[in-house]
This record gives sequence, C-alpha cells and structure tokens, in this order.
Amino acid sequence: MKRAGRQRLRRYATIAIATAGVVLGIGALILLGRYASSLADFGRRHVLILAVNAAAAVVLLGLILVNLFRLVRDYRRRAPGARLRARLVGMFVGLTLAPLLIVYFFALQFVNGGIDSWFDSDLEQELSAALRLSRESLDVQATSRLSQTTALAAALGNLDGEALARALSVLRADANADELTVFTPQLRVAASSSRSDALPPTLSEDAQAELGRTQRFVALEPLGNARYQVRAAVPIPGEMPGDAEENGRRYLQAVFPIGFRQGRLADAVQDTYTRYSELRFLRDPLKDNLTLTLSLVLLLSLLSAATGAFYLARRLAAPIESLAAGTEAVAKGEFDTRLPPGAADEVGFLIQSFNGMIERLGRAREESRVSQQQLERERANLATILGRLSTGVIAIGPDGRIRIANDAAGAILGVDLASRAGSAFDAIAEAGPLPAQFIEACRPHLKGEQREWRGQIALNIAGARRILNCASSALPGETAGDSGGAIIVFDDVTELLVAQREAAWGEVARRLAHEIKNPLTPIRLAAERIRRRYLPTMAQEDGQVLDRSTHTIVQQVEAMRDMVNAFSEYARAPAVAIARVDLGQLVREVAWLYRAQDGQPVVKLELEEGLEVEADAVRVRQLLHNLIRNAQEALEGQADGVIEIGARSVSGGERPFVEISVADNGPGIEADVLTRLFEPYVTSKKKGTGLGLAIVKKLVEEHGGTVVAENLPERGARLAVRLPVRAVVRDTLSDTRPVRVEPWRERA
Amino acid sequence: VQENNKRHCRPVAALVVLIGLLCAGPLCAQEAGVEIRNASTRLDAGVWYLTARIDYRLNRDALEALQNGIPLTFELQVELTRQRNWLPDEDVAELRQDFELSWQPLSRGYLVRNKNSGDQRAHTTLYAALKDLGRISDLPLIDAALVNDAEDYEVSLRAALDQQQLPGPLRMLAFWDDDFTLESEWFRWNLRTGEQR
Repeated sequence: MKRAGRQRLRRYATIAIATAGVVLGIGALILLGRYASSLADFGRRHVLILAVNAAAAVVLLGLILVNLFRLVRDYRRRAPGARLRARLVGMFVGLTLAPLLIVYFFALQFVNGGIDSWFDSDLEQELSAALRLSRESLDVQATSRLSQTTALAAALGNLDGEALARALSVLRADANADELTVFTPQLRVAASSSRSDALPPTLSEDAQAELGRTQRFVALEPLGNARYQVRAAVPIPGEMPGDAEENGRRYLQAVFPIGFRQGRLADAVQDTYTRYSELRFLRDPLKDNLTLTLSLVLLLSLLSAATGAFYLARRLAAPIESLAAGTEAVAKGEFDTRLPPGAADEVGFLIQSFNGMIERLGRAREESRVSQQQLERERANLATILGRLSTGVIAIGPDGRIRIANDAAGAILGVDLASRAGSAFDAIAEAGPLPAQFIEACRPHLKGEQREWRGQIALNIAGARRILNCASSALPGETAGDSGGAIIVFDDVTELLVAQREAAWGEVARRLAHEIKNPLTPIRLAAERIRRRYLPTMAQEDGQVLDRSTHTIVQQVEAMRDMVNAFSEYARAPAVAIARVDLGQLVREVAWLYRAQDGQPVVKLELEEGLEVEADAVRVRQLLHNLIRNAQEALEGQADGVIEIGARSVSGGERPFVEISVADNGPGIEADVLTRLFEPYVTSKKKGTGLGLAIVKKLVEEHGGTVVAENLPERGARLAVRLPVRAVVRDTLSDTRPVRVEPWRERA
Repeated sequence: VQENNKRHCRPVAALVVLIGLLCAGPLCAQEAGVEIRNASTRLDAGVWYLTARIDYRLNRDALEALQNGIPLTFELQVELTRQRNWLPDEDVAELRQDFELSWQPLSRGYLVRNKNSGDQRAHTTLYAALKDLGRISDLPLIDAALVNDAEDYEVSLRAALDQQQLPGPLRMLAFWDDDFTLESEWFRWNLRTGEQR
C-alpha cells in the first residue's frame, strides 16, 4: 500500500513538474513572441522573459536529465522496452533537431540579412547631405545674424544707461530680434531688451570661451517643437570712459528666431538623420538580441521536444513493455497475468489478443494438469492392478526397451525387473538362463509382422521344466503404420499342468482299484482252490505243473494287487494331520529300518540337531521311505552303494525351510528322465512302479514344500526335499487354478 | 571595431551566455562614472533647497551611443528620511529629477533638458553640457513645515544613468555588461547641519 502511495505521489509530482515546465516553456515562447516584435517592450521585459525562459529551461532540463538517467539505468539493466524507448527518443530528438536547426540558422541568416538590408550607404549619404544642406542653410542665417549683431554693436557705440536701454529697444525692433542684451566686461547685464518676459539673460560659458578666443560667438539653439533660434555675441567696440573698474569691453548678445517653416524642415531632417543613426548604432545589439531570442526559442523548443520525446517514447513503448513483461511472466508459468487494456489501436488489439491467448493457455494448462492428475491416478491404479496380478506383464517400447514390468513378471522369470525399467528387453537375457530362454522364445514373435501371438513355451532350468502360457500383442504407434512396441503377458502354468496330470492319474488309480482290484481276489481264491483240490490228486509231474501255475497266478495276482494298492495310495488323499515333528528322530527311525545288511547299501546320516517342522508325521515317514527305497533301487546290484541322508535348516529366503536330502552314488538319472522324474510312471529302473517319486512330490506339495532332483558331479544323484518349518497346508490344486489373462493395452 | 566584434555574439555563444546567466560579472573597472562632489541644503523662506555639484564622466560606449543620436537620461534621486533611534528610518520625502542629454547633429551641439520641467539648454560642447547637467542649484526639496525641528533628518542623493530609458536592444546589452552602468554612490548628509555621513 505504502509503495503504491509513493508511486502515485511520484507520478503526480512528475506530472506537476512536467506541466510546470511545459507551461513555463509555452509562457516563455508567448512572451518572446509578444515582445520580440517590439524592441522597446522587449527591452523593458527582457529580465522577466529571460527569467521565465531560464526557469522553463531549468525545469525541462531537469526533467530530461531525470528521464535520461532512468533510461540509461533501464538500458543497462536490459529492462523490457528500454532499447525501444532509447531508439524512439533518439528518433524523435533527431527528427526534431534537424528541422529546428535548419529553421534556426535560416532565421538567423534571414534576420541578420534583413537588418543589414535596412542600411544603405546611398541613403546614408543622402541623409548626411540633407543634414549638411540644412545646417549650411542655417549657418548662412547664423553668419548673417552675426554680421547683423556686429553692426548693432557698432551702432551702440558708447551709449550707456537709459540711452543704451532705449537704443536697444529700437535696435531690437528694427533688427527683428527676440532679445538684445549688453553685458558689462564683468558679464553682468548692463541693459536688455526682450520680446518676452523671460528670465534675465546670461552669457553662457560657451559664449564666454568663444568670445575670449575669437571675439565672436554664434550658435544655433533648438527650442523644441521645431523652433530654433540663433544666438550671437560680439564685443561692443570702444571702451567705457571714466570708469576704471569697468575698464574693458562690453558684449552684445542677440537672439534671432529662425523661421518656423525652415525650422520645421530642418527639424525633420535632423529627426530622420538621428533615427537613422540610432538604428545604425543599434544594428549590432539588435542582431544580438534577435540571435538571443532565436536561441532561446531553439533551446526551449529542443528541450520541449526532448521532454516530449521521452514522454512519447514512454507512452508508445509502455504497451510493448507491458507485452514483453507479460510474455516473460507467461514464460515463467504465471498464467494469471493480465495486461491492462490499451488504446483502441493495433497495440490495444494486440494486448487484447494476448490476454485472450493467455486465458486460453491458462485454461488448457489447467485442463492438462487435471488430465495429468487423472492419468497419474490411473497409472497408479494400473500399477496396483499389475502388482496384484499373478500374471506377468511386460510392455516393450518401440525402441525395444522395457516400459512396464510388473512384480509377477519378475517373480516368474526370477529377475528384478523393477530395477531394469528402461533397459533393453534383450538385455535381461544376461540375468540368467530362465530369462534368456524366455527372450529367445519370445523374440521371433516380437520382431515379425505378427501382431498377435499366443502360445506355450517350455523353459528348462536346473532340471526343472517350467511351462509358460504366453501371449504378445503389438501396441499401436503414434501414427498409423508405426510400431508402438509390444506387450507380453505370460503365466507360469507348470503347476497347473502337473496338477491336471496328477488329477488324471488319480482318476486312473481309482478306476484301476475299482475295476482291477476287485476281480483279483476271486482269481487268487480260485487259483488256490484249484491247487488245494487238485494238487493232491494229481500225479507228481502234473502236480508240479499245477503247483507252479497256481503259484504263478497267485504271485502275479499279488503283484497286481501291490500295483493297484500303490495306485490307491497315490490317489488316496486322507486328511493331513499337522503336528510338531522332531525331524531328526523321524529320519533316524526310518533309516534304522534300512540299516546295512548283506548286499544292501550303507546308509549314512548327517543330521542337524534340533530340527523341528510342523508336518504330518505319517506322510513325512512315507516320503522318507520312498526316497530311501528309490535310492536303494538305484543302487541295486552295486556293491559299494552308499546312501547319504542329510537334514538341515535353510534360513535364506522369505520363509525358513528344512531340507532333507537323500543322495546315492549310483548311476544317476538320465537326462530325458530328469525333467519328468516326478511324473507317474516315469522311471529308468527295472523294478518299481514309477509312482514312488510321484507320491513324494505329492506329499511334499501337500506340505507346501518343493522337491528337486539333480545328478551329482562325480556320480550318483541327489533328491532334496524342502519343507517349510511352519506348516503351510494347502490343497494341491487350490494354488494352481487357471488364471484368466486379459489382453492389456497401455492407455494412450 | 574589435569591441564591436566582441559584442557580435554568435548563436552558440548566445546560448552559453544564456545558460550562464549570472556568471557574467563586471568585465573591468571604468574610469568613467558619476560622482557627487558636494551637496548641501539651505532653508529659504520656509522651503528647503538643494544645491549640488555632480561630475558626469561618460565612457566610450555611452559617448558613442550619445553621438549616434541616442539620448541619455540621467536620474537624480533625492530621499529625505527621518532618523529614529530604535526604529528604521522613516521616509519623509522622495524626489526624482530626470535630465536628458542629447546630441543635436544640426547644431552640432548638446541639449540638456529637464524632463520634469521641460527646461532645456543648448551647449556647443559636451564639457559644457555635462557641467550644466551636474550643476544643481536651489532645487526645492521640501516645505519646512513638513520637517519637525526636534527631529534629525537625512538627505540622500544619488545620480545615475537610467538604463530603462535606453532603447530596447541597448537595455538588453546593459543587462549583461557594465558599459551603460553609470551611477554614483549615495551621498548622505544632515538636512540642517550639512554634516556628511
């Protein structure tokens, strides 16, 4: 508020000073114009005129200096519009200066030439001649009057007293003189006769001096109003006798009028001559005065023009400065900037357009901001959705770089894709064999013309086979025909497939139990009955055949029963009874059953103390039986067979595990078998149902654990079971239900 | 001619002169001037009269102007003040007499004219004219009745060339330089005792 008040005060002060300067300037010019035409008036008022001019000049000069200072300051600061203002001021002053100077110098020449033209040498000579003529004419009269006076003096002789007075009166009348006076040698009036009652006459000092020098005096005397008189004085011849004191000459002074007509003519000539002389004398001062006047006019005009130039430049540049400042503000992002409306001209239209443009820009920016926020929200939603998906999603840009990859994609491929966002898709092949195989499998479908692809890819890793359901789709580019990259959606369906297969085998087992096991008992009973009834009655040789045959039937039926029981076992899924199990104790108990006998492999235990898991003890026991039996079967016929059973805790990872491993030094597992080892009826051994390891896998998975098989570097194989320390009871199929994969596209 | 050329201000010089308004001072001291030799007052028949002798010495510029037909007007200022002890003096009377000195080309003489009374006297020489101009005889000053006998009065006399009566262009010049500055100091004396201050 205070600042605004100060600015307003400054503005008013500036306006007041400028107005004062302009008023003073105009006043000075008016005074100059009014009085310059009259020399007398100019002379009388010149101090006032000069004072007003000086005041105007000082005020205007002050204004110019202040404006100049501001302009220079703004120019140095590179303030918006300063250069334009400087240029405009320069242009205005330049435009004003040139014609003013031309007019000034032209006027000076004109005035000086005009004044000089007043004076003409011929005219001067003629005037001098006229004056001389008048003077000589009057001189003739004066000389005549002097002679007349001399004659009068001679006529007076030695007259004195009353006689002198009378004689003077008579002589004055005869000579038509205005005055006749006789002065004593002491220059006192002896007698006088005058036409008027004027003051007593005197003999002037001039006359006395002249009389002393030349014994005569004559002078032409102006009386005013074109009247002249001739004054003549001569000594009166002869000396006054008998007066010792008055020894000396007396003087007669006579005054004669000049004719009025002649006096008027002479006066006119003298006046003209005097005026001409005066003018001639005043010529140079007059020129000086006019030069000064013109200079004042020039100075005031220049100062006024310069002041006006600053004002006009500021006024012209103001809207442009305002526009520049507005543009700068908008460039800084201040979209609420509004310029004050200008005049109804092109600049005003420009300002109006600018304001409209800023308003639209501001609106568009706000809309963009809202859209951006919405986009961000949707992106966050999408990220949340993608994060929650168990399906892996990878979006690849047109440049082959990963744009989006969700957590599931990283989990499935075993790569931290979050830290690789923006890196090349192909580059994640370096992260391990699984992603390398994945990329190898996907690449042909991403690069070709094929826009949609859907299929199943199989990845082998550390003896485990993983099946991925994969789909890719090309993303639309910014323009038609451009590639916008691709999106790959994939799902690990390994467990699903296994579960499906297991379910199928379970069904087979149930049917076998039902369809095959039931007839076996009558077959066996029938065989035993035949044997019991007919063996005693038969000859020894026939009896042997019968005995062998029935024995074979019974034996095969038993074998079939075992097989069917094994199937039943595989398919049976009794309720899991979870309890805390001392794993070391359990392993020892089971291993004791397989302690080394003749021809049997040696069992070695390497058990970590205090291992406890939450598990179904019966199932774990069976699991161990199956594993050890599997190892025994692998070492069958091998004299130095050794079975190493180990149990240890594994604390790495999200959840703690207990690992039970059973290793043998047998021939190992064939490579093609290794990948499908845990599937039913997959075996490389001569004996065995092919269900042992399938059951192991099923039991392990019932506990939420994992089982892997690997060949040892030197010889033999190793099967490792990992069971969670804390029970994770799960339905075999519950976690592997099919996942619906929705085609997904990134929002534009 | 040289002096004239100096006065021929060129336009730029005129501007410089204008800006330096007050910078122009007296260029040089002139021997010419006005000096009051003596002055006195006397009472006669109830009227105080003034008598004075003034020396007028014209400088070259004034003389040149005079001989080119420009009349010079000299003013005679007389002031009568009542003197007071603790207060400023009181103006009692003020008198101004203007005398015009002019050159008469026809008679080749000089004319001295009292502009107040219209009296004029012609002189054949400048010397006589100036002497006449400087001779003030029995100029009636004030009625004695207007003067309090118990009070002290001071008479001040000053004579000067009246620049205001010069033609315009000369007046302008006179403003800048001292060529036409001809003035005396104030001459003061006691009305009754004639004692000079």
